[in-house]
Amino acid sequence: MMAGTVAINTFREAVRDRVLYNLIFFALAMMAAAVFVGQITIGIERLVIINLGLTAISLIGTVMAIFIGVGLVYKEMEKRTLYSLLAKPVRRWEFLVGKFAGLVLTLAVNTALMTLGLAAALFYVTRGFSRADTSILVAVYFILLELALVTALALFFSCFPTPMLSTLLTLGLFVAGQFSTALREYGHVAHNRALELLLGAIYYLLPNFHNFNAIGAVAHGDAIPGALILHNTLYAVLYITVVLLGASAIFANMDLK
Amino acid sequence: MTGAARTRFTRGATAAIPLLFVAIVPLQRGIDRYRASMSAPEELWVGSGTLLKTISMGYDALLADIYWTRAVQYYGAHFETGSSQFKELYPLMSIALTLDPRLTVVPRGGSILLSEPNPIGAGRPDQAVELLQQAIVGKHDDWQLYASLGFVYYWYMKDYGHASQVYLEGSQYPGAPIWMKGMAARIAELGGSRDTSVMVWSQIYQTATEPRARENAKQHLMALHAQADIEELQKIVDNYSGHIPRVTSLRDLVEDRVLPDVPVDPAGYAYVLNSSGVVTVNPASSVRMDILDAGKHDKAAE
Repeated sequence: MMAGTVAINTFREAVRDRVLYNLIFFALAMMAAAVFVGQITIGIERLVIINLGLTAISLIGTVMAIFIGVGLVYKEMEKRTLYSLLAKPVRRWEFLVGKFAGLVLTLAVNTALMTLGLAAALFYVTRGFSRADTSILVAVYFILLELALVTALALFFSCFPTPMLSTLLTLGLFVAGQFSTALREYGHVAHNRALELLLGAIYYLLPNFHNFNAIGAVAHGDAIPGALILHNTLYAVLYITVVLLGASAIFANMDLK
Repeated sequence: MTGAARTRFTRGATAAIPLLFVAIVPLQRGIDRYRASMSAPEELWVGSGTLLKTISMGYDALLADIYWTRAVQYYGAHFETGSSQFKELYPLMSIALTLDPRLTVVPRGGSILLSEPNPIGAGRPDQAVELLQQAIVGKHDDWQLYASLGFVYYWYMKDYGHASQVYLEGSQYPGAPIWMKGMAARIAELGGSRDTSVMVWSQIYQTATEPRARENAKQHLMALHAQADIEELQKIVDNYSGHIPRVTSLRDLVEDRVLPDVPVDPAGYAYVLNSSGVVTVNPASSVRMDILDAGKHDKAAE
């Protein structure tokens, strides 16, 4: 399975590039928050730690997914390692899927370690765990789905000519995807049928990153319905498939000479 | 991969992508449904406009626009769903105004949304007053802010003393129209009489630039006009019924030559006499008498 080999190598390369060093920053932030949260807030220490921790996991992961993701193909082309790789029995789509899986694996490891850091900070602040804290794991899972989708988009745009353009496009789509719900609401209140239909179509076309935001809900101890977990998983899988198919189609027709 | 295989792959992918997108639509609808049922509490990420201004790195004006847009969307979304809770409306507007004190659309438009009774608005004229006073602190020589504040005091709070005082104060600033002084004097003299209400709403109708505000003023003027007609017609019906008890419709009065014709309201619909002998607007008419509830004029001042 060539895609698996590419994935393992991508993960190894990320570790070699000291990508996981961001964990030091996260650990410091969580330690500082755990120590100072009691002094700057009253009664919402748990809330602040969970909000801060999950937001940091999401932000750090997103930055990694975008900035590493857009270079996945470009770097291989620039270093000309892609040509020797494709000379072997590796299909182009396998190469892309391998790259995607490798970065998602890196992000998963990174997220798992940050979640441990968050749990430690939470334990320090609340002196124990409650049953409601288990829903934090659901929020982390949603973040991971979000990161996988961002990675797929970054990979798609990494097939474009320059990393700068790829970064801007990925970032733009990520921001637009965060506001897609607001876009649809605007369509509802605009009292213009054509505009409402247009914004409705855009709403379904854009990757809806708002779907994966459960930070506020779990911080308030709300349970996440199992059906939502299933729907979000299917949504992410389906959207990632679409994006990777698109990326593979572009990459398959790329002139690599 | 050979050239032919690549072409086959591309064709397959191009065909599959739209189909997969079609599958995404019901999935997204399901997610929307579940997320709505989670009923997350309405929250402001940052509740302090001053703090936001500090951390906005000079982009406070843009942030103000975003907050005002968010406030309008918040109002629209709650209005569309029939929810009468507008808990975050005032904070959103206050933050937008703190970020950009010159954004006078916020207090002028927002004060109406805050003041209008449920379910149209938040039913909080006190918050509208606070918002307008905040705006006046930042732009103290804007007569339009005084006109809006005077209006909230007059119509929604029926505080004629403050209303008169505010109109008078605003009339002293450059550009203030002459009617501001007249309004102050009239409110001081006659309080909440219908004629004063007609005068206030006429000014709103003439000066409003936003179509919905103009339409709202027009609706109020039509309702005030109909209210005067109904009172007059009721007097005639009551007097006439005193002599001949069997008046079942206004047409009876026309046939007995008490009225030349059945009068019509400003929307063109004939007034009706109900089974209790009370004159009302025609149910088919677009004139809505309930909108006068917020500012029921003072009978004693008539």
